Amino acid sequence: MAELTVEDLHLKYGDNPILKGVALTLNRGEVVSLLGPSGSGKTTLLRAVAGLEVPHQGRIRIGEKTVFDGAARVDIPAEGRNLGLVFQSYALWPHKTVFDNVAYALKLRRISTADIATRVKEALAQLSLGHLAERYPHQLSGGQQQRVALARALVYNPPVILLDEPLSNLDAKLREEARAWLRELIVRMQLSALCVTHDQSEALAMSDRILLLNGGKIEQQGTPQEMYSSPQSLFTADFMGSNNRLTGKVVTIADGVAVLEGAGWTLHGAAKPSAKPGADGTAMIRLERVRLADGPGDNRLPAELSTSMYLGDKWEHLFHVGDASVRAYGDRPLAPGRQWLEMPRAEVWVF
Amino acid sequence: MATLADAAVPLDGASRNAFVANLPRALTILVTAAAVIAPLSLILYQSFLSAPFFDAKKTFGLDAYRFIFDDPDFWSALRNSLMLAAGMTAIAVPLGALLAFVMERTDFPGKRWIEPMLLVPSFVSPMVLSFGYVVAAGPVGFYSVWATEVFGGVPWGLYSLPAMAVIAGLTHVPNVYIYASSALKNLGSDVEEAARTTGASPFRVATTVSLPLIMPALLFSAVLVFFLGIELFGLPLVLGDPEGHLVMSTYLYKLTNKLGTPSYHLMAAVAICIVAMTVPLVLLQRRLLQNARRYATIKGKAGRIRELPLGKWKWLAVAIVGFWLLVAVIVPLSGILLRAFVTNWGFGVSLVEAFTLDNFRAVFDEPTHVRAIVNTILLGTVGGALTVACYTAIGFATHRRNDGWSRVVDYMVLVPRAVPGLLIGLAFLWVFLFFPPLQPLRQTIFSMWLAYTVVWLAYGMRLISSSLMQVSTELEEAARTVGASRGRISREITLPLIRHGLLGSWLLVFMIFEREYSTGVYLLAPGTEVIGAQLVSLWQGGAIDVVAALSLINIVLVFIGLAFALRFGVKLRD
Repeated sequence: MAELTVEDLHLKYGDNPILKGVALTLNRGEVVSLLGPSGSGKTTLLRAVAGLEVPHQGRIRIGEKTVFDGAARVDIPAEGRNLGLVFQSYALWPHKTVFDNVAYALKLRRISTADIATRVKEALAQLSLGHLAERYPHQLSGGQQQRVALARALVYNPPVILLDEPLSNLDAKLREEARAWLRELIVRMQLSALCVTHDQSEALAMSDRILLLNGGKIEQQGTPQEMYSSPQSLFTADFMGSNNRLTGKVVTIADGVAVLEGAGWTLHGAAKPSAKPGADGTAMIRLERVRLADGPGDNRLPAELSTSMYLGDKWEHLFHVGDASVRAYGDRPLAPGRQWLEMPRAEVWVF
Repeated sequence: MATLADAAVPLDGASRNAFVANLPRALTILVTAAAVIAPLSLILYQSFLSAPFFDAKKTFGLDAYRFIFDDPDFWSALRNSLMLAAGMTAIAVPLGALLAFVMERTDFPGKRWIEPMLLVPSFVSPMVLSFGYVVAAGPVGFYSVWATEVFGGVPWGLYSLPAMAVIAGLTHVPNVYIYASSALKNLGSDVEEAARTTGASPFRVATTVSLPLIMPALLFSAVLVFFLGIELFGLPLVLGDPEGHLVMSTYLYKLTNKLGTPSYHLMAAVAICIVAMTVPLVLLQRRLLQNARRYATIKGKAGRIRELPLGKWKWLAVAIVGFWLLVAVIVPLSGILLRAFVTNWGFGVSLVEAFTLDNFRAVFDEPTHVRAIVNTILLGTVGGALTVACYTAIGFATHRRNDGWSRVVDYMVLVPRAVPGLLIGLAFLWVFLFFPPLQPLRQTIFSMWLAYTVVWLAYGMRLISSSLMQVSTELEEAARTVGASRGRISREITLPLIRHGLLGSWLLVFMIFEREYSTGVYLLAPGTEVIGAQLVSLWQGGAIDVVAALSLINIVLVFIGLAFALRFGVKLRD
């Protein structure tokens, strides 16, 4: 059942269009990530769902209730939408204790003091914040503040919880732990969550589904696996991972296999819809899919080793193939000079 | 499933009536509009009548304008006003800029305790300061008498137009200093260091690098000082009188008695002439301030500011700052301090023999003076709190609302800025006479409070909105998403967050209310006495002893406010 439905949403600031017809659905117990570069409209979309931005066209439904309809002039204000929003900055009220921050939403709902105390304690305990109830926000660490912000958004059981870059204010090490913890919490509490992020690895790790936004439109959507391993456009392929790109001319396309020719090399790869015979094309392959080979063979390219970088768990090698540079991982340092690189046909996409 | 996920809590109040929710805002805007527009439209209306508005024989027409334009005194007052404003701008701007550079950028000795003193002339009532100059450096002032005894003559005069321009210029240095120094604060010191390394002396760094970079701020303060020059009232009233120099405001003030009968229509015509000059200046200031801010944010690298060693220039800097402090602060204040404690003063009088407390006894024996003191304190404390409450209500009416009404309020708030206090006081007098239901309030301190609150509306709204701006949008949005209505967000989130800003605003409003004098001039009546207006009236009557004692009391009140403000770390400027 869809907890949140967005249809054909358009929004502009002045004359500047930010969202150009976005649609999405969020089902119960599902985590959907809005992913995209800055300026793609992902935060605007989240804020429009929350009621903090006013679209000029489209519909937003929460459960069965229409909260925005441009044509029917329905616009329920943010305070009437009963959603939970976790801000990027957490936006904890500095003049209220942790307890009061979390209790505020319940107070607004005229719940008795005794019930408020029980429910707030329960919520704080769920997020292991029980001992911090009397502290003020400035007395908490970044990770604790983030959990208070979550508790504040969850305590009144909103049908949908909106997360705006929930991890971006944490430092790198803490972020990975928080990511696992947040995913586990969402699954355990069966929350329906819409989460904005600009970090593709965060989106891959946290979500059931990813919506990739580009310039105010949805570029592609799907499960993390689909997004990563079968991108439909160059943009998606490029955004979802670390890639090598080789540009050349598409010679033929037959049975879904395209042949791309460059300066002194030829590659076979899966043809994507945008590839046309006779036109310029781009071959793309994930860094981790490039194999080091010991000699010529199918889809193998000769490459000059330029430099190697030690990354701790592996080596990253930089090669030159004609004018282009190609990177690949390896488990040991390489001798300088000519090497062969294998790019398996199934792993090469031609756009 | 987790325990938290039991039945979702429904939100009540979602069906709140939009009309009821918007009622407080509509009321606030309406009351503000009435308080701002009623008095000013009354002035405009009166200026087109041939007689006071209560006169049965009044007719519509331009008679009033014709009369004043035929009066040579009007033209000489206009000329004097323009010359005074230009002269004081020419003095205050370079000096204020230089002081700002010395204080912000160099290793000038004792900066920390000199800085608050630099602001003193802007906190003391101009009426009191001018009086201080008369008793200190007038023909028989303390310093004049001493100078005559030592040198056999006095090398200065106070009552000429150039002398007034110099004094007005020196006492308006703080207005320039405030804006120049905050502009300098926003300017990284690396540009100055670069100039130093190429061999420029501190003086050349100031004149060729720092000051050109803060030009927008200086331009703004030049227009501000010129505008204040057009408004000038206390200083020309006290210093211009002996030689009969009139400026626009004193010309208006003297008109009261010109025809023997109430000449409201003439006063209104003069008032409109003054407003016609100040409105463009205020609009220009608004433009320039926005420009200066934009400039500051572009340049604002806000790096750590290192002090520029003055070296051999130190003594010149000390001499300039010392001279300014002497003339603009020490001379007038010491004059009042001395005069308040002597019976009389002149050649051959010894300070010790003339010492007395009778001046203060005279003040406290006279019930009207005691009422003036009590009223002034009440206006500053209780009235100030109410005023801040009103300003806060207006602030909330426009806060985070980008609609037409907010823009209307923005301009409405700006309007009283263009009208000198003297005129607003006059306008409110007419309002109370014009609308019979309001007449009972005329004799109460409420009339004074209302006029003060309207006069300082623009200033107060700047304080409130700078507090409101510091509340991050997300804190309010967070409250909206958990279900709080606008009203509750204002009361429970925003208001508690700006309480320190409001306390600071209250202290600043207290200080300006203690200092205010011109607004009360026409509203002064039994029951509405305040020190400032009382001083104007007593000065006209020549009661020097009482004026000295009341002035000292006035200064003490302002300084108590200042002490509290410094104690609570209130920012005294933007």
